[in-house]
Amino acid sequence: MNPKENFDSNFGEASVPASRLVTSLASPIDASCRVPLLVLFSGAALWLVVGLLLSLAAVMTFHKPDMFADCPLLTYGRVQPAANDALLYGFCIPAGLGVMLWIFARLSRAELALPLVPVVAANLWHFGVLVGVVAILLGDSTGFVWLEFPRGGSALLFAAFLLIAISAVATFGQRRECELYPSHWFLLAALLWFPWIYSTANLFLVAWPVRGVAQVAINSWFATNLIFVWLALVGLGTAFYFLPKLAGRPLQTYYLALFVFWTLILFGSWMGITVSAPLPAWMSAASSVAAALTLVPVLAVAIITFKTVRGVPHGGISCKGEPFCYIKFGTAAFVLSALMLIAEACPQISRVIGFTWFGPAQVQLQILGFFTVVMSGAIHELLPCVMGFGLPFPKLVRLQHWLFMPGIVLWAGSLAVGGVAQGMKLGNPQTAFADSTAAALMFLRVGTTGLLFILLGSLLFATNIFIMTLKWKLALFKSLLAAFKAPLATPSASASLRRDRAVAEGKGGEVKP
Amino acid sequence: MNDESKSSNSSRSDGEPETVRSTTPIWIILLTLMLLFLGSVYFDHHSGWFSSKVYSPYTSKDEVELYQPKSGAAAQAAHGRQVYQFVCGACHGVDGMGKPGQAPPLAGSEWVNANGFHRLAQILLNGLNGNLQVEGKDWNLNMAAMGAGLSDADLAAVLTYIRTSWDNKAGAVTADDVKAIRAAVGGHPSISAAQLKTIPE
Amino acid sequence: MRNGVIVFIAAFIALGVSWCGFVLAPVMQLGTEKQAAVLNSSDVYPIGRPGEANQGLQVYRANGCAACHTEQVQQSGFACDVMITSAGTNPPAVIAAWWRMQTNFFPNEMTQRFYSVIPNSGGVPQFPFERVRKEIADIAVESFQNVGAKAEIHIIAIGPDIERGWGLRRSVAEDFLYDQPVQLGSLRAGPDLANVGARLPDANWQLVHLYAPQALVKNSTMPPFRFLFEVRKIGNAPSPDALQFSKAFAPPAGCEVVPKPEAKQLAAYLSSLRADAPLYEAPFTPIMTKP
Repeated sequence: MNPKENFDSNFGEASVPASRLVTSLASPIDASCRVPLLVLFSGAALWLVVGLLLSLAAVMTFHKPDMFADCPLLTYGRVQPAANDALLYGFCIPAGLGVMLWIFARLSRAELALPLVPVVAANLWHFGVLVGVVAILLGDSTGFVWLEFPRGGSALLFAAFLLIAISAVATFGQRRECELYPSHWFLLAALLWFPWIYSTANLFLVAWPVRGVAQVAINSWFATNLIFVWLALVGLGTAFYFLPKLAGRPLQTYYLALFVFWTLILFGSWMGITVSAPLPAWMSAASSVAAALTLVPVLAVAIITFKTVRGVPHGGISCKGEPFCYIKFGTAAFVLSALMLIAEACPQISRVIGFTWFGPAQVQLQILGFFTVVMSGAIHELLPCVMGFGLPFPKLVRLQHWLFMPGIVLWAGSLAVGGVAQGMKLGNPQTAFADSTAAALMFLRVGTTGLLFILLGSLLFATNIFIMTLKWKLALFKSLLAAFKAPLATPSASASLRRDRAVAEGKGGEVKP
Repeated sequence: MNDESKSSNSSRSDGEPETVRSTTPIWIILLTLMLLFLGSVYFDHHSGWFSSKVYSPYTSKDEVELYQPKSGAAAQAAHGRQVYQFVCGACHGVDGMGKPGQAPPLAGSEWVNANGFHRLAQILLNGLNGNLQVEGKDWNLNMAAMGAGLSDADLAAVLTYIRTSWDNKAGAVTADDVKAIRAAVGGHPSISAAQLKTIPE
Repeated sequence: MRNGVIVFIAAFIALGVSWCGFVLAPVMQLGTEKQAAVLNSSDVYPIGRPGEANQGLQVYRANGCAACHTEQVQQSGFACDVMITSAGTNPPAVIAAWWRMQTNFFPNEMTQRFYSVIPNSGGVPQFPFERVRKEIADIAVESFQNVGAKAEIHIIAIGPDIERGWGLRRSVAEDFLYDQPVQLGSLRAGPDLANVGARLPDANWQLVHLYAPQALVKNSTMPPFRFLFEVRKIGNAPSPDALQFSKAFAPPAGCEVVPKPEAKQLAAYLSSLRADAPLYEAPFTPIMTKP
């Protein structure tokens, strides 16, 4: 076995904090992911900050309605979808893809295949998001929820995803042993999921739109499969990789994970059509049944997580803010947000909470509480190995956790409670409509504080990643300079550096965020 | 369950995560099966079996069929009464007896009980002003046009209602009749009493 | 699962099945939807929006109005009201028949309100039964007819939205036949707009509300859309389109607020929004709504 991989075996112990795993040398596997991951993550970190800033601009409307009355770019109806799309397409998907590439390379015990392809694709992706977000702000949104990007942006995203998928599948194909780890299933399915739903939605809604309410059915199907199923596949795939790794004990158990996988993709993909939608009863009935059945994988995820982390130091609720905590908190947020989604699908409950802030609360919990937290935990954990040196500010990891956790509880929690308060009034025709909005207003205003916490946390996250990128660029520049001065440098200026150089030269200045 | 029975590749030493291969708890499979059963019962009761015409809260095509409002004469009469009470009743009275100095009676009026409905229809469509004799009394009329706010079906229903209620014995009017009249004279300025007599019945 | 291909096939099957269910089937079932007949009428529904209103839909989309407004009316139930239209010649017999049915159908509770009485009929109630099942309503109508009264059944849709006056029935597929894109919305930070054209038909009200929502609705959380209007110096003659405001919201002296074409289009779209035709799949006895 490659001696450099010995490093990894230490890495598996939860008791060793990430900051102490700093080493000047990364394994070739990790190093092969370096450039693509940096491009994906630094862009993602930027979009996280931008998305949260846009969210903040959107929620300010509820503090002072005429704040942006003369500025069409920042009117609520444009900023709000732009913020959501910046978070989902800008942060969630590229971060998920980056982590996926690394997990595939690690599990295959092989270097990333075609490392140049994801670098090109990541730039293409982030450019597509930029096109899309700007178009939404300029009023060129398509008007479909989660599919607001106009054709140009969508086409770029689709092409970029396919390119990254090619590299991911090629890496997957290089694995030495046939046996698959559970994360493999989830991540592979996610690779199929996105191109299918994205192309279907774009073809049927934007390119050659179908007539009338069939649009509603397709839009709901797309939104659920993206926000619930895709994020769950990638987020759980990541969590099932890092949980046992950081806990230092195996995943409990293989068959339960298999069970989660099957039930999630079979039932989760049918959710999303509510009883109020102007669609024939069979669609909402099928969706409600699917939602009830989705209880099973959600329950199983909770069991797997609980059994895997039980008995491990800091395995319980107690935590210090290290990546292990991120993953645990994220998985718990997934269980909660999935339960909220299932509650929304129940006709009796949806009579109360339908059309209220409860829906946005669930989405925010899914995107920020579950996915963003799992991804930032994973990135904090894997980035030091990939870069070959530690995070520049390891303390910020803990600080970020202590900003994220209360922020998300406050933000999603107050939206959810506000939604229920609003729904109680909305369902009673004797109360004036204005009372229902007023009921939610106070909670929205309180929740803004939570959003500020999350925004601060995301700034810390971006700081770590950008400083790291800068440091790496500086080192690269120095080594290039050294190589230029002394062409016959010692062989210990490791192979990975040479590879980086090759990639960086091939791509020019592509690593800019 | 044995938590320590690791998978076959437990010889790995590179820190990659592993799994425990114990069986899935039976209760979760039973739970799935139970939810599947309950779900199919729910679907059977609420789906309307894929009909495009069954929307919640209706649960079957038979139910939708059962709750169709009555069609034909009875429905038109009910519709006509509603339009009448809403639009005409304020002046002409719910009982069709009119109000002195404001609106002439419709019950027993010779203009209502005429053979044809063209004059009556035009009054509704375009309004009426001037001096007109109704049931032997002179009325100085200034009725507004009602045509713009009412659909052909509404007008037909209210015309039929006026012509068949309060012991009036004239015939029914269909929406197509109103449509034809509207096409011919719709948007005409308010007609005077003198003009009314020149319109064929 | 040992093999990547198996995982791929598993995902393919799962997503393929749901694709057939929620993409293919709706497209086949609803994508070919045509105009429907309005119940008990020769009218068809819906009639396409006028051109300006259709442009207004694009303004609605571009500014994301659907982020806060839904265009869908919910309905939680349906029932019948029995209405007596004529008490006939023997009002006491009608009342006796009513009490008999009352004790038969609702032995434990006095469910029906005695809220209006037919004039000159000796106390015969106008609505002897409200919100009852069709079976009971049918029996009631027959019993009243047997004692010489005339009665009829009104089908009504029930739900908080309907009681709020947001509509007369639930929203169905036909309501969105000509919309591209369909702007359903999922959050009611503002009121439902499915029937706003029937509720607030005045396009001028809409324009004033768009420019300064708080001028018309106190404590409204709606952001003003001032960028859809032009505040300009009054020229030789004031523009006929200029909006009138109360003091607090009026433009500076010597200026007037004139809607840009987008604002007019949006107001036209809002005025065109109404989904209250009785249809087969959402039946109700039409109540007079048009003024």
